[in-house]
Formats: sequence, C-alpha cells, structure tokens
Amino acid sequence: MSGTGIWMLAAVGALLVATGLPAWMVLIGVALVFSIGGIALGVVSLSLLTAIPARLIGLLESDLLQALPLYVLMGALLNHLPLAKTLYRVGGRALASTGAGGPLAGLGLGVLLAPMNGSVGASVATLSRVVQPRLDAEGVPGERGAALVCVASTLGVVVPPSLVLILLGDAMMRAHTEALNITRASVRIINTQDVFVGALAPAGVLLALVTAMTWWLARRGARSVAARSADSPGWREWIVAVITASFIVALLGGVTLGYLYAVEAAAAGGVALFVFGLASRTLTLAVLREVLRDTMAITGALFALLVAATVFTLVLRAFGTDRWIAAVLSGLGWGEYPTLLVILAVLALCALVLDAFEMIFVVVPVVMPPLLTLVNNVTWVAVLTLLVLQASFLVPPFGYAVLMVRNSIKRPLSMRGLTRALLPYLVAQLCVLALVLAEPALVWQRNPIELSPGGAAKSEEEGREMLERQLDEQLDQNQPEGVETKPSDATPKQ
Amino acid sequence: MLERALAIVDRLIALAVGAATLLVLPVSLLLFLQWPLREIFQAYSREANDLAQLLFALYVSCAITYATRKHAHLAADVLAHRYRATTRAGLARAGALAVLVPWAAFMLYASWPIVAQSVRQLEAFPETYNPGYFLVKLALFALALLVLLQALVDVTRKPPAEPR
Repeated sequence: MSGTGIWMLAAVGALLVATGLPAWMVLIGVALVFSIGGIALGVVSLSLLTAIPARLIGLLESDLLQALPLYVLMGALLNHLPLAKTLYRVGGRALASTGAGGPLAGLGLGVLLAPMNGSVGASVATLSRVVQPRLDAEGVPGERGAALVCVASTLGVVVPPSLVLILLGDAMMRAHTEALNITRASVRIINTQDVFVGALAPAGVLLALVTAMTWWLARRGARSVAARSADSPGWREWIVAVITASFIVALLGGVTLGYLYAVEAAAAGGVALFVFGLASRTLTLAVLREVLRDTMAITGALFALLVAATVFTLVLRAFGTDRWIAAVLSGLGWGEYPTLLVILAVLALCALVLDAFEMIFVVVPVVMPPLLTLVNNVTWVAVLTLLVLQASFLVPPFGYAVLMVRNSIKRPLSMRGLTRALLPYLVAQLCVLALVLAEPALVWQRNPIELSPGGAAKSEEEGREMLERQLDEQLDQNQPEGVETKPSDATPKQ
Repeated sequence: MLERALAIVDRLIALAVGAATLLVLPVSLLLFLQWPLREIFQAYSREANDLAQLLFALYVSCAITYATRKHAHLAADVLAHRYRATTRAGLARAGALAVLVPWAAFMLYASWPIVAQSVRQLEAFPETYNPGYFLVKLALFALALLVLLQALVDVTRKPPAEPR
C-alpha cells in the first residue's frame, strides 16, 4: 500500500487536466477519496486525519506566510496605481539609445514586478496589460512581444526574494528536516535565506543572458521600433520612476541580503505605496476597492492551495509513500547525480501544467525529502529546481506561461512564431541550467550545509535533539543585525 | 423557502468576506510599525505582531471563500477551456457537493474540540501571553464554515443558460 501515493498524484494530474476544476478542490477530493479507502482497509487511521486542524492552525499563525498577502498587496498597488506604466515609459525612454528601449523596459518591469506578483499567471496579466500594447504600438511583432511577456513573467521564479523563492525556501526547509529525520545526519537545515543567496548568481547570469538576447533580437527589427517610440515622459514621471525603482530595489535587496525581514519589507512597501497613492491622488476609492479585491482573491487562491496541499501530503504520508519513494530511490543505486536528474525531469513535466505554487505546495513536498536523503547540497538542489521550473513554464505549447499569455492576449498568435521567438530564451535558460548542474559552486552558500565533525546522530532521540538545537541556532542566524528576539520568518511553527 | 434562506446566506457571506478585504491594510500597517516600535521605541512591537497575526488569520479565513466567489482559484485549463459553460458549471457544482461540503463538514467536526477549548479558556499567545490567541483557532473554524456555506450556496445555484 506504500505506493498508493503515486496513484494519488496520478489521479490529481488526470483530474486537474480533465476537469479544469480548481487545483485545491482536486487535491482535497483525491485526498478525501483515498483516505476513506485507507480507513476502510485499515491502512490509515482516522485519528491521523483529525490532526489536520492543528496543521492548518500552523499555517494561520505562520510568521513567514504573513508576507504573502503583503507582497500581493504591494504588487496590486503597483499594478493599479499608474506606477507600472510610468516605470515602463521612463525605462523605455532611458534605454532608447540601445535601440531596444521598449523590450528592455518590459523585461526590467518584469524583474521589478514579478517578485511581488502572486503567481506567474498574475505577472502575465499585468505585463500583458502594460507592456504588450506598447510593444505592439512600437512595431514589435506580436509573437516576439508575447515571448517577451512570457519570459518577463517567469523571472519572479528565480529573482530573489520573490514569493516563489520564499515559499520554496520554506518547502525545502521542511523537506530537508524530513530527510534528516530519515538519515539522522548531523547537517545544518536549509532556510529561506540560503535559497535567496544561492539563487543570486544563477539569476544574475540568467538575467544578463536574457537581457542580451532581448537586445539582440530587438536590434534585428530596430528600424520599426526606433521609428515609432516617440512617447516622452515628463520630469515628474522621471522622478516618480527613479524613486519607485530605487525603493523597490532597496526593499528587495534588503530582504535578499538578510538586512530586513520579508514580512516587514513587504509591509513597508505596501504602506509606502499606499501613502504615495494618497499623496498623488491616484489612489481613489474605486482603485482602492480594486486593489483590495485583487489582493484578497490572489491571497485566497494561494492559501486554498496551501491548505489543500497540507491535507494531501498528510494523507500521502499516512500511506507511507514518502518513505517508499526514498527506499525505491536508494534501492536503485543510481547515485545522487542520475537520481537528481530524474527528479528534475519529473518536476519539469509537472510544471508543464502546474503553476509554481502548485509545484511548491504539492510536488516538492513529495519528491524532495527522498531526494535530499541522497543529495547533500540542498541549496544547489533548490536553485536547480527553480531553474527547471522557470524553463518548463516557457516550453511551448503547454508551458504554463505560454498558455497564460495565449489566453490573456486577445488575438490569435501563431504557435510556430511564438516557439521561434521563445527558442533563444529557452536556449539561454538551458545554458544556465547546464552551467549550474556542472558547476555547483555557482550557487553561493552563506554557511555551507555540510556534515559536522560529530557525524551522524546515534539514535532517534539524539536526532530529534540535534534538529531542535539546529532550529534554535537557525533562529539566531536569521535575525537581522541588531535584533535580539523575534521569531524568525524562516522558522516553521508546525 | 430554502432558496430564500440560501440567498440570505449568500448575501451574508458576501458582506463578511467583502468587509474582510479591508483587513490587509491594518495587517500591513501593524507589521510595518513593528520595526520602529522595536528599534526606536523598544516597546509594543510584540503586541503589534500578535495583533497582526490575529487579523491575518481572520483575513485568510475569509480569503479562500472570497477567491471562490471571484473564480480566482488556480486551475489547469488545458482541456477545460473547450468545454461548454453548462458542463463546467456542472463539474463545479459536483466538485462543491462531493468534495468541499464533506471536507468542510469534517473540518468543523475535527476542529471543534480544539477551538471550543481555546475559546473557553480565552487562550493567550503562548510566547508573549498577549490575549486573543483563541481568535486564531476560531479563524480556522470560520474558514471551514465559510467554505461549507459557500459550497452549499454554489450547489443550489441555478446553472448558467447556454449561449446560443
């Protein structure tokens, strides 16, 4: 019965695609059916399922998850206030001399907004609305503009400290803790900050490549682009754009480098944008209503998924599937590298139809703990996961971002043309992925996660004590400078 | 009679979750104020954190139902966008009836002992002893209750007319 969880995953995949029902409903439905079957067969105990409320209360009191609606609020304010348009117009003008002002500004806007947007889908919606019409007006071919929107929308997956990175950091920490419960190795547990710092260099290389690619592609069609971009912003717009961009970069940089809590930075960003909206009289009651509506709808969608994934993974573990997968993987005797490649391939396949959050909440908790029992370099695995996710979102015809862009742009796009436009970006991403696979040192490690001199713990009791000690140490390490007491935003409460 | 009762429930849910959209503003403000309270005034930062946690829990408890009402939940639309509107509505109603109603009912049943005990004791925050922690647990009950009521409303809602 241990392999039942695989059938659960297969059922989720099939029902998601076949019914088009919300992912959280499908996850809970599958968990419900299988748990009833498990109880009937005496494999799953009802008392285990009554533990679900306690786990869900853990979500409601999580310090880390408080950042989620705040980031979404910041993204919604940026979307609804004229700031996104201002940033794009000023960026396009500032970069006009490159001959690729519009496309590069669109990419830059993606880099600034994507970390704060609720999901790849939300980023696609924003950039389709702000960037695509202007690229059209500037004479950029539709498929190339759509490809740019696709790429810019997925940058939030790798650019720290995006919501995706925050949540993946949390998921990896849980997966690592579970893996250590199995191996009882004496290793420091990964935290969100490790993933932020680890992703910096690969994200930088990817951004440089994507920027160069965008510039090169735009230069090839430069005549039409340069001729039509005569939209000149006023000095007020320049000031607003410079202040906004500097503020966002400072906030995101502060969180990435560990000077600010993700929660406090997001709250500060939200308050600052709110005050700006009031001061500039652009935050009218109607706009505020839309901002609040979008924030709650996206937050609700993400939390529903989190709740459903918590229920689903609990049932899956009740069948013992996590340990079964771990046993199968180690029994194959392939070694860490081939096993890692197989897991990354599985993630890539799943990412063709699932959003980043669905991947993090559902797939990562299932496949990562077994993998991390074999692979020691957890930060490397986390960064590879991010890169694979991002690349998979861009693979036509079913890549998630591709599907979303085709839905949000209300005119027919040639799939062949879109594929051709995406190809250079995909090649760039595969190059970065291959580079990180071949050279794990590219992933920076603040404090390398390695075996301590003590080696493996001797007993389960020792293992538990060791993990508790490490969590306490991590709590101290995660404090921004000068802070003495505050529960870490990277420490699980469950 | 039943239809009328469900319409009232629908309006009450709309009112509750609509009002809750505002909660993100005080959550944001309180979490922002934490920093100056901690670093400059060196007082009340934990109180601000705890209050924000309460409001956050209440916000989330309403947000899931709000997302349902706004059709904002993430879904894989690879095949389903080709289905007729009535087919999709039928699937959604079947899902609500077969999945959300029993799950939410089970959550209400399973969380009741924890929530009731916490409310009876007016449980305080375990780390700071500030009052009000029972509201976090109550928020879980509210979450399940709202999901249950919304699912019942959705199940009984008339299907959309097929466009000609």
